[in-house]
Amino acid sequence: MAIFNRRQFGALAAAGAASLAIRPAAAQAGQMNFMSFSYAEEPNKPFVVSMIDKFKTTSGVTVEPLATAWGDTQRNVMLRQRSRTLPDSVQLQDRWLPSMAALPEIVDLDTLLGRPAIEAALAPTALGLGRVGGKQIGIPLISGSVGMVANSEVLAKAGVSKIPETLAEFRTALIAVRDKVPNSVPFAMATKNPASIPLDVLLIYWAFGARMIDEAGEVHVASAEGKAAMDFIAGLMKDRLVAPEIDRPDSRRLFAQGNAAFYFDPPVARTFARSFSGRGPAADAFVVPMKTPVLKAGDVPRSVEWGHIVTLFNTPANRDRNGPGAKWISHILSDAVQTTFPLEVGGLPVTKSGRAAPVVQNDPFLKAWAEVTVATGKHEIGIWDNSPELSTILSEETQAALLGQKTASAAADSMQARMKASMAKRG
Amino acid sequence: MASSAAVESPPLRISPAARRGGLKANERRIGWLFLVPALLAFAGVIALPFVRALGIAFTRNDLRTPVPRFIGFDNFKTILASPEIMGSFVTTAIYVTAATAFTLVLGLAWALILNQPFRGRTALRAASLIPWVLPSTVTAFVWGWIFNSRYGVLNAGLIELGLIDRQQAWLSDATGAMTAVVVTKVWLSIPLFMSFFLAGLQSLDREQVDAARVDGAGNFAILRDHILPHLRPVVLVVIVLGLIGNLQHFDTIYALTSGGPVRATTVLSIEVFRRAFDQWDLGLASAVGLLWVATIMPAAYFYLRHLLRGV
Repeated sequence: MAIFNRRQFGALAAAGAASLAIRPAAAQAGQMNFMSFSYAEEPNKPFVVSMIDKFKTTSGVTVEPLATAWGDTQRNVMLRQRSRTLPDSVQLQDRWLPSMAALPEIVDLDTLLGRPAIEAALAPTALGLGRVGGKQIGIPLISGSVGMVANSEVLAKAGVSKIPETLAEFRTALIAVRDKVPNSVPFAMATKNPASIPLDVLLIYWAFGARMIDEAGEVHVASAEGKAAMDFIAGLMKDRLVAPEIDRPDSRRLFAQGNAAFYFDPPVARTFARSFSGRGPAADAFVVPMKTPVLKAGDVPRSVEWGHIVTLFNTPANRDRNGPGAKWISHILSDAVQTTFPLEVGGLPVTKSGRAAPVVQNDPFLKAWAEVTVATGKHEIGIWDNSPELSTILSEETQAALLGQKTASAAADSMQARMKASMAKRG
Repeated sequence: MASSAAVESPPLRISPAARRGGLKANERRIGWLFLVPALLAFAGVIALPFVRALGIAFTRNDLRTPVPRFIGFDNFKTILASPEIMGSFVTTAIYVTAATAFTLVLGLAWALILNQPFRGRTALRAASLIPWVLPSTVTAFVWGWIFNSRYGVLNAGLIELGLIDRQQAWLSDATGAMTAVVVTKVWLSIPLFMSFFLAGLQSLDREQVDAARVDGAGNFAILRDHILPHLRPVVLVVIVLGLIGNLQHFDTIYALTSGGPVRATTVLSIEVFRRAFDQWDLGLASAVGLLWVATIMPAAYFYLRHLLRGV
């Protein structure tokens, strides 16, 4: 056992204090960390590692990846903010930004990189991603939209030869799958997690021509169209066309393993299908991007804007235009990343040059995706800073309708009252 | 012996100097010194956070107000006006009552079985502690798989027996979800309760039981007239500990149902967690937390009184 005298102990303490004092300098010299949910997803982990390795090669900066489950990311960031242990950089879902924007430590990238540089790099449709309240609080990493995918092999088993275009055709296809593909969940709609349910319900609301909350903050969930949408959703459960206990990861597995015919997802659906089916790129053959079914022929199918954002916090690594953080953002916007990472993970590049690259232009899946998701809109719940509470309300009332605890109409009315109260509280 | 007992010894006199600096005083000081780490830990880990939470309960402290603002009793008024939050008190009462009662009955029954002489008793006693040894999240996942609607053993078994014709979503039904979280907690707690009862049974006077049997008493009469009265102090302690533990319980419920479906298993611990870390309303979460502590206080009071008095 080592025993130190007072002088030795003093020297050790001084050395410890000195090492703490020089930590920021060391960080600026070439180290930072990156909290990422893609890194926590087994199929996507190698692509994040590759992106980090390329950065190390080109800049000499070492990035330490920190895994976080998608559903826990907001909570982890908030807890780290309270304990003053925020990471240097974090990967966020675009719809989380309004609630994250309240954090005082978030870096306005306009001031770090300069607005002209950002505008010059990003494709026009990606400029809005990462921008809240006139500040660029994150830079998009990949973009796209949330739409519906169909499993052509499951549909073939069920004898469905045409991808449904209207809700009536969709329902008929679901019934065929239920009856002809044993133990399947015809439509793997999210029914379990308050973080996932709102997206699926929103898309069905839109299909009925309903809105949830308009730009002025007015709540419309209990409109006649909204109640019709809720009734449709409850009917799906009653007829065993959707199933309880389904979260997005369950949907992806069921779909990839031939136990679901349809579900909502961004283009990352392809990557998950490749991984979870065990068939690799051969799985691309059964993943069919399709237009979200509409109420009547001629209606415009809609999808939800989607993207992954990289945000910086005000840590020593991010205080300098030449620091690791600024270099990291530049790396993310480089062709080296934009012509590889989005395609590997499943999404569109966010830069003009990335989108123009032949490898992107010639990707059949992304091309098909872009063709079917023409009309995109912002997430009507996610854009509000009280979205966590709104999501909880929406999920609880939807579940109440799904489980038959309330009629669809009563659930919509209750949702309307609770959401109105929440919006009134935010002022 | 009798004569020496009759002689009263004079009261021990301690000089004022000895009080200040004598051996006894030194011991007292050292005693306080030994207490310091525990007191510091208590202050840092329990007292300060509690006082802080007390303060936050009277503030608005959410994402839109990162700097807390004093609002008096508004959070408590919100609680009283919210059927959802008031419902979580009812849910807590149902959960705590069911989990404590079933653990009590099954723990006692299991202890009585393990108190009988039979081959393999020691091995079975050791095996009975497994649920207690397993991490509770592991237990929650095991039970989660058992109750899973698509792959669960429960559905497979019931379909095999012909009791149901298709898979049931136990965790998506209010009654099924509550049953699942209660069953999981009962399974976790039986070893602890069983250990208490088994220890109590070791001091039961066997001759008294044998005499009762000779007098014609049956098993139920022996349980009612001899075993339960003998175990009364143990039962009281176990009930109080069970109430406290179940009022505080969080992990298996969160892992199994996250408080759902809808709010069927949202007990107070889940309510506080979701308000604080899903919705980031720390003021309201702290206010619910204070009321939650208040529900635990009576049980804690009885337990502490029991400990201090030894009654």
